Amino acid sequence: MSMPKYKKICERNGKRYFFRFSLHQRLQHVVVFTTVITLSLTGFPLKYHDKAWAEPLINFMGGINVAPVLHHIAGSILLGLFVYHTIYWIYLFYTRRVLPLKRAGDLTLGNVGREFLNQPMIPNKKDFYDLIDMFRYLLYFTNRPPRYDRMSWKEKFDYYAPYWGIPVLGPAGFILWWRDEFTHFLPGIVLNALYIMHTDEALLAALFIFFVHWYNVHYAPEKFPLGTVFITGYLSEDDMIHEHYAEYVKVMTEQGLQDEIKPQH
Amino acid sequence: MGKSFFKTRVVTLLAALLLCGIAGAVNAEDELDCLLCHKYRGLSRIDENGKFRLFYINEAIFKEGPHVRIKCADCHQDIKKIPHDPAKKVECTTECHLIEPSGQKNFSHKPVSDLLAKSVHGKLDADGKPKKDQQDYPGCKDCHEEPLYRPLSFFKGKSSGVSERGLARCQTCHRTGDFAESFYKHVTSRLRKMRDPKEIVGICAKCHGDKEFQQRHKLDDVVTSYKETYHYKALLFGSQETPDCTDCHVVKGEGVHFIESKKSPTSASNKKNVPTTCRTSECHEKAGEKLAGYQVHVTYDKDKYPLQHYMLVFFTWLTAGVLYFFLTLIFLELLRRLFPHYSFVKPTGDDHHSSR
Repeated sequence: MSMPKYKKICERNGKRYFFRFSLHQRLQHVVVFTTVITLSLTGFPLKYHDKAWAEPLINFMGGINVAPVLHHIAGSILLGLFVYHTIYWIYLFYTRRVLPLKRAGDLTLGNVGREFLNQPMIPNKKDFYDLIDMFRYLLYFTNRPPRYDRMSWKEKFDYYAPYWGIPVLGPAGFILWWRDEFTHFLPGIVLNALYIMHTDEALLAALFIFFVHWYNVHYAPEKFPLGTVFITGYLSEDDMIHEHYAEYVKVMTEQGLQDEIKPQH
Repeated sequence: MGKSFFKTRVVTLLAALLLCGIAGAVNAEDELDCLLCHKYRGLSRIDENGKFRLFYINEAIFKEGPHVRIKCADCHQDIKKIPHDPAKKVECTTECHLIEPSGQKNFSHKPVSDLLAKSVHGKLDADGKPKKDQQDYPGCKDCHEEPLYRPLSFFKGKSSGVSERGLARCQTCHRTGDFAESFYKHVTSRLRKMRDPKEIVGICAKCHGDKEFQQRHKLDDVVTSYKETYHYKALLFGSQETPDCTDCHVVKGEGVHFIESKKSPTSASNKKNVPTTCRTSECHEKAGEKLAGYQVHVTYDKDKYPLQHYMLVFFTWLTAGVLYFFLTLIFLELLRRLFPHYSFVKPTGDDHHSSR
């Protein structure tokens, strides 16, 4: 997989923007949010069938004969993306970390494990200290905000939430959809369990996305009404300082701009 | 029109109308000229129990109904003269004078009533003794009424009634009289859904949704649990494909009046018959036998449904835990922005001392 080259810092109208997400990653995100929104709009009217908004919403989504079809299509795409994404990072990890080790003749299980734990998305010790720093800052025990790396613990949580949510929701939905076929070997009571798993986990996911994720990326005062990094892939210098100060300092230094590093605010 | 008008005895009104000599269009089946009076929309009174009773017959609707070929007096057999005394309630098992074409016998709803009596809804138990709480066992008219008595708005905007093109097919051969039309109605009215499935759920819920009734008969709240299933939710949003109560609780090949207790070995809801019930031709035809293990009427009762109960507890705590944690963070973050200069530590002039 050849990745397009992205400049770490991009200047537009005298302002600096910092690279966050490649086009390939942004497109995966588009698939995630379009399918999740479709799944919510076609699913929740059924969970909350006795609410006044349920019937108008399901009618807006095509009515009871169409909405479930959309739900199945969106669910299949999301499950497909989940599988694709998992293969995608395993492939990247293999070509970028494992193969160089192999070429250097250092291919041991320990080395591969160490490389894996060093991946920017893997939770590490710094995340734990960042969390403590954040609480100290929020509770006024220090005036220094936490200095997050390329991926903050919040972003890692956002990333792993679907890694728990999709395996819980997706296969459950899939089996409920193909219940006639699955009940040739699965006991019927499994469907009862899957039904609860599917709708209750969906509620958690939707509430988390709506309140927490969207607060972090859209509702927060400096982002409102819309954070644009999911479209452009680049984050403004102000946001970078605010959210990823450690990464900001690192990138500025790498690019020979250490004299222009601004203080954290 | 004041209430006092309705209180006027119907007999007086009838006499007055007769004296005025108003002659109505007389129905062919209306031997006693009932419509002479009953065609008037205001024909009503307040009865001894203070209930408002409407006696108006809308002839146009009556003519479209299933009882069009039956004389009024066939059902209202206690009325022999006009003006008449307050009439008794109609007994649906009465033999009317209509000859049932297949057996050349007088027609009656008695076979249906017999079936009902054998079912779990019958008033007598297997030994012929009256069951406890007689008033809770339905008769014909607890679930049905003459379509005539439904609100007029029911017909608005629905493409109901006789299909001229359908009828024309019958009339290809059956040309004499109104034979084709009345049999067309006879047959098609039984092939159509008698009611909207939601209405059927409502009818069953009249008793089965009543808390006191459930306690008297030691029954679960099956209405609420049914409403949690996709079966009901799809019906609610207009699907005609998912089952209402009668679809699952009637054994294959029987009429809907023969609902049996799940304890009966021939019942559709008896454990050993559920696989067959679920897998009837229009439903889960290709499903495995294990589908029957799916619990349809689920409550979150700890003892009866421990799996559902503990899963609910788990997901409730998970959801509450995750959301409370993050919402607290958001709250603190907004608070920190609102009051940025407050601090528990004395300013040292170097806030950037730690370098992790």
